[in-house]
Formats: sequence, structure tokens, C-alpha cells
Amino acid sequence: MENTKTLMLVHSGMKYLTSMPSDGGNVLLTPQFYTVKREAIPVKYAYQAKRIAPSLFEGLLENLQAYKYFVFKEEDVWVFIAYDLEMIRTFLEDKGFDLEKISKIYFAEQALNDFSSPVLLGEREALVNLNGTMTVVPQIALSSDEKPMQISSSFTPKKGISFEGRKKSYISSNEAYTLASILALFAMLYFVEGSRYGGENIAQEQEMQALLVEYPSLQSSYTRESIADKYKAIDKKERKKRDVIKSLSQMIFKGSTLTSLSLDNKKFQAEFACKDKRVSKKLQELAKKEKFNTSKVANGNDVKIEGTL
Amino acid sequence: MTFTQLKAYKNEMIVGVAVLLLLISFIYKQGKVSSRLDATTGTSVQELKEVIALKKVWGNKKTTKKVDKLKTLVPPSKLKWSRKSKKLTASFNNLTHPELNRLVTKVMNLAVEIEKLEVKNMGGSYHVEFKCKW
Repeated sequence: MENTKTLMLVHSGMKYLTSMPSDGGNVLLTPQFYTVKREAIPVKYAYQAKRIAPSLFEGLLENLQAYKYFVFKEEDVWVFIAYDLEMIRTFLEDKGFDLEKISKIYFAEQALNDFSSPVLLGEREALVNLNGTMTVVPQIALSSDEKPMQISSSFTPKKGISFEGRKKSYISSNEAYTLASILALFAMLYFVEGSRYGGENIAQEQEMQALLVEYPSLQSSYTRESIADKYKAIDKKERKKRDVIKSLSQMIFKGSTLTSLSLDNKKFQAEFACKDKRVSKKLQELAKKEKFNTSKVANGNDVKIEGTL
Repeated sequence: MTFTQLKAYKNEMIVGVAVLLLLISFIYKQGKVSSRLDATTGTSVQELKEVIALKKVWGNKKTTKKVDKLKTLVPPSKLKWSRKSKKLTASFNNLTHPELNRLVTKVMNLAVEIEKLEVKNMGGSYHVEFKCKW
């Protein structure tokens, strides 16, 4: 995306800035604020080139510790720029720049190809592309047929530097986007889950309403509870009775005959006539399986089975 | 704070918006879950259906007719029948084995409260006393 912010050319002879664009701006520095060196070094990446940058400027700059380095590739050569950020900061502040509003700082060297004509710096100097190097020359050195030009935001290079003191994000863009994606994914899951529950709620509500219309007497929760309590108790008890009858009927087999059965609301009792001990034993085993109490009727193989309900 | 200054915290704002979105979605989901719980702690459809089913079985108005059909299982000579409103007292005498089976099966499938069921084997035939209400 093209940078549309105002690009301000900064040179040592510039006048005091009375106002800055409200949306801030970028700064393009003339060679007065940096030292440049072009070297064909066999390294592939900028960070590798940046590591060797200090050694290239040894003997060329005093107080090397004060300098920082910016490196970029220009066709087959690496361009090394040494700059004193503190000096630049002081200069800009002195000239009335609001540092908070400066997004990026660029070097004129980066926009070399855009300088097709000289750019006048005040009344005496001009910035020109002199044999592939940006140079500040006296205006009197310019030939009369060279028509000066103005810089525009289209000169803005892709990469630049920024003041370290400037407020910076605590998290990187990559981290922010990754984290935001994960959170958004969870949010989406919650929304989906929530809408699923919502759908179920609506369906349940509709079904409930339909049932209540069909059975208006059950609209009162008191009535519902009362009916449920009454019939649940009956259902439980009567199921038990029927289960007992079913179990006892399964104890009637060859050699075993039901002599009597008595069942009421509290208990049951059944007597079986068994033709021999083997049948009697089998019957007792079946009764024990059903957790019924068994006992033998005196002087015989008959079995009495009883239990409570 | 100007727009330029705010822009410096773009990343934080992206994460902040995502957190806010997550929070809103979580509250939304919890809202739906709790409204579902409310419905469950009140009377759920399942509970209501259960009450209706129980009522249909044990409060069935056709039970009286079904009980009366017990009379048809055995010849009138073998039967003493006394039904008052929704209470029955019946005696079945000299029942054969198949008759007893039919009677007990029918009784078991009737939605009535069995108050008394007595079966006695009297030398090959069966005597049944049956009391129930519904």
C-alpha cells in the first residue's frame, strides 16, 4: 500500500517548523545527517550486512558508539548508512518537530532514483543525485538548464527507522494477529455453541407450549407436581407387584405347581408343590436369584416363597 | 490522544477487540446455557411428557371398560362380580389352567391398583380372589 503521509525533507539549513500535519508525517533526511558507504559484500541477508556495518565505518567516523546503522540492498551492492539518532532527534526538536507525530525517518539515499532533478534546500544549497550518490551542493554549482523539483510522498521508501523513544507496541504484529485469530476462533465457537443452545431453548419452549395447550390442566406447576407425585408412587408400586407375579409365574415348570398365591399392597406369599428334592432345590435357587425369602413347608418338598413390596 | 498516537497501539487494539469479542460471545453462550438451565430446573418438556404419560396410563377413563372385559374371560357361572364406581371385588371359581393364565395376564396388563390377588389350587382347579381400584 502506498504511503500517503506527508514526506518532509529535513536539511540542516531548514527553517523552524511552525506546524506539523495533523495526521503526522514522515521525514526524509539529507546526507547532512548520515554517512553512506556502498560495498559489494557477499552476504545474503540485511541482518548479516548490518553486523559488519560498524567495521566499515572505522576510521571514517569519530565516536562510533553513537552511531546506528541502516542497511539496504541496491542492485548488486549493499548500501550502509551510519546515523546518529540522538543528533537527529535533537535537531528535529530544535526545529519544532513533534517527535510523537513522526512515523518514520528515511534517508535520501533510499529514494535515489526519484531525484531526477535537484531539490533546492533553502536559498543556497540543493540536493542532487550525483553519480548515484545523494549529495548536497551549492546552488551556484547547478547548471542553469537544470529545473529544480519538489519532493512528494511518492518518494517514500518502503523501509525506514523510527525513534526508539517513540511509544511502541508492546506486542508485535505477528503476535497480535495470531492471538487475535485464536481469540476470534474461540469467540466463534462460543457463538455457535450459544446459538445451538438458543435453538434448543426455542424448540423446547415451543414444544412445551404445544403440550400445555393440549393439556391445559397441567399449566399449573402445583397440579403437575401433584399429579406426578400421585402417579409415580402408583406406577412404582404396581410395577413391583407385576414384576413379582411375573417372576413367580416363571417358577412354574415341570415338577413345580403353584399351590397358592397371596398378594396385597404390602407383601406377597406363594407356595409351590415340588415333586422331588431336585425341583425343590431348583425352585429355591430361582427364588434366591429374585431375592425372595424361601422356606420349606414341613414334611415335604414344597417351598414357600414370600417377600415385601 | 490523537489518531497517530492511537495508531501506535494498533496491535494492542486488535488483541483488545478480539478479547472483547471473546467476552461478548462467552456471555452470550452463558446466557443461553443458563436460560436452558432455568427451563430444566423449572419443568422440562421431558418432565411434562412423563406426567402426561403417567396420567394417560393411570388416569385413563377407559380403564372401567377394560376392567369389565375381565367378566368375559370366564363363564358367568364361575364368577362373582361386584364393581362399585372404580372399585372391583371379584371371585373366580373352578378355573382351568388356561383360564387362570388368561386372567392373570389380563390383570397384569390392566392399569389398576391391585389391592388383593389370591390364587388357590383346589385339586387341579383354581380359585381366584381379586380386588382392585383405579
